[in-house]
Amino acid sequence: MIITRQKTFDEIEAMVDDHDYNKIALIGCGGCVAFYHQGGRKETVELAEKLKAGSRDVITGIANRQCYLCREEDVRDLNDADTLKKVSREIEGFDNLDGVEAVISLACGVGVQNLANLVEIPVIPAQNTMFMGKRRVRGDFDIEQCIGCGDCILGLTGGICPVTRCAKSLMNGPCGGVFKGNCEVSQSRVSKHPVPCAWILIYKKLKKLGRLDNMKKIRPARDFVKSANMRMLEVEQVG
Amino acid sequence: MADRLFSKFMESVKSREFTISGEIDPPKDVNREAVEEQVSCLKDHVVAANVTDNPIGDVIMNTFAPCVIMQEMGLEAIYQATCRDRNRIALQSDIIGAAAVGIKNVLALTGDHTRMGNHPQAKPVFDFDSVLLTQTIRKMVDEGKNWAGLELEHPPKLHVGVGLSPGLDPLEPEIIKLEKKIEAGAEFAQTQCVYDVRILERLKEETSHLEIPILPGLAPLRSIGMAKFMLKYVPGISIPDEMLKQLETSKDLKETTIDMTAELIRTVKEMGFAGVHIMPVGMDAQVGEMIKRSGVR
Ligand code: SF4
Ligand code: SF4
Repeated sequence: MIITRQKTFDEIEAMVDDHDYNKIALIGCGGCVAFYHQGGRKETVELAEKLKAGSRDVITGIANRQCYLCREEDVRDLNDADTLKKVSREIEGFDNLDGVEAVISLACGVGVQNLANLVEIPVIPAQNTMFMGKRRVRGDFDIEQCIGCGDCILGLTGGICPVTRCAKSLMNGPCGGVFKGNCEVSQSRVSKHPVPCAWILIYKKLKKLGRLDNMKKIRPARDFVKSANMRMLEVEQVG
Repeated sequence: MADRLFSKFMESVKSREFTISGEIDPPKDVNREAVEEQVSCLKDHVVAANVTDNPIGDVIMNTFAPCVIMQEMGLEAIYQATCRDRNRIALQSDIIGAAAVGIKNVLALTGDHTRMGNHPQAKPVFDFDSVLLTQTIRKMVDEGKNWAGLELEHPPKLHVGVGLSPGLDPLEPEIIKLEKKIEAGAEFAQTQCVYDVRILERLKEETSHLEIPILPGLAPLRSIGMAKFMLKYVPGISIPDEMLKQLETSKDLKETTIDMTAELIRTVKEMGFAGVHIMPVGMDAQVGEMIKRSGVR
């Protein structure tokens, strides 16, 4: 899932006040951000209450998935007003965005961009989108699991991603910085929390699996064409 | 590729002579004298000396300039190249340039993370790692081709060595990585600093199946404060209690340090290592005395 952290209220409020927006629509998302209690129904209402305190006109709604809000071809030929209606209808809580001066999206960066692409109203992000991570328990850490490198090698590394979880994205085993099993960048001098060295985790896992040979082969240098900015995939099938 | 010898350093290693390399720390500004001073201290005592590449990511004079100054003064340089700040384009370009001005040895390192130094916000590169850098240098030297396979009509002629951290626990992943570096073409290894004979013994044992000449690294322990700092922050460091006690009770620290280092040099030789790599950490002027007292020459 996409891990996000809600921006501070001050930062969100400053973006609203900078442009004197008075009528605002807050749109939460029922996907990852709801799961992680950052931008679901409850958080959307809470943020609205705080913004209302500044005597602003605030309405709230929630999209099932903001990244999957209206297909582009469904709205391509519509005028602004009709697009707005169509988008509104996909948002539970209101079917009319008329008169709204700005939208605050509580979705991840993908959701925000999708929404901004659809409506001709300024969209303000309420989240800082962090990374792709897995479900965690309270008190634990959200740990980044995958950077989407476009060339997955998990099959060789015991299901632990060195591209993401090694601070240097090394492909050929640990560096000399492993400190008591932890990564050099998590030393007390530079970090508050110890983080295990990804390559020590990989080594232990492969040893357990009887596949240390995986680690003994020289892995070629990564092809950054596969993970450079502006990546696109041709959509072969539209669901 | 048996008898390709480009450098005095490699010649010494290959001749099975006990080879001593040194190291200099480039200054943080344009202080050429600081380089010259370190070189003058070392030049009569070591076969070659490493020039570090912005260790821990602090901004200092680049590796290139001190290498040139050093060689002008008659001491052979070992050019340290790390993957932290340069992608494969810049790394190869630097190797070509280094060879063009007569640098004969390169130490291929992954490098510390940018987060460790005084510019923690900088973008870490790590396009290559030490294995891939080693492999690419050998490809340039031996096959006359760059990483992308383009022919080099005038290929660089230099030797490539690697680093090794013998104190890491578990050691097996480090040994696996060393095996990969050897497969990639590493011709010698210099290690992270060692103080504990048990670490040296374990290193001997765990590398007995490997052909590569190993030069254990020694950095004189100048004070109990330095010892404690190293134990706390430097990976894989182990210092025997006896040594700590000696430092704590010493009446003449400098003498104690020289004696302790001399003793380690002697031990390294007795254990049959190819040589020793001395990182003087400010005690450049005493390196000659350390070697003399060790009796290895
Ligand atoms: S190897 Fe690439 S695709 Fe696979 S988990 Fe790591 S970053 Fe993601
Ligand atoms: S200590 Fe481990 S995780 Fe950290 S940079 Fe080195 S190899 Fe990667």
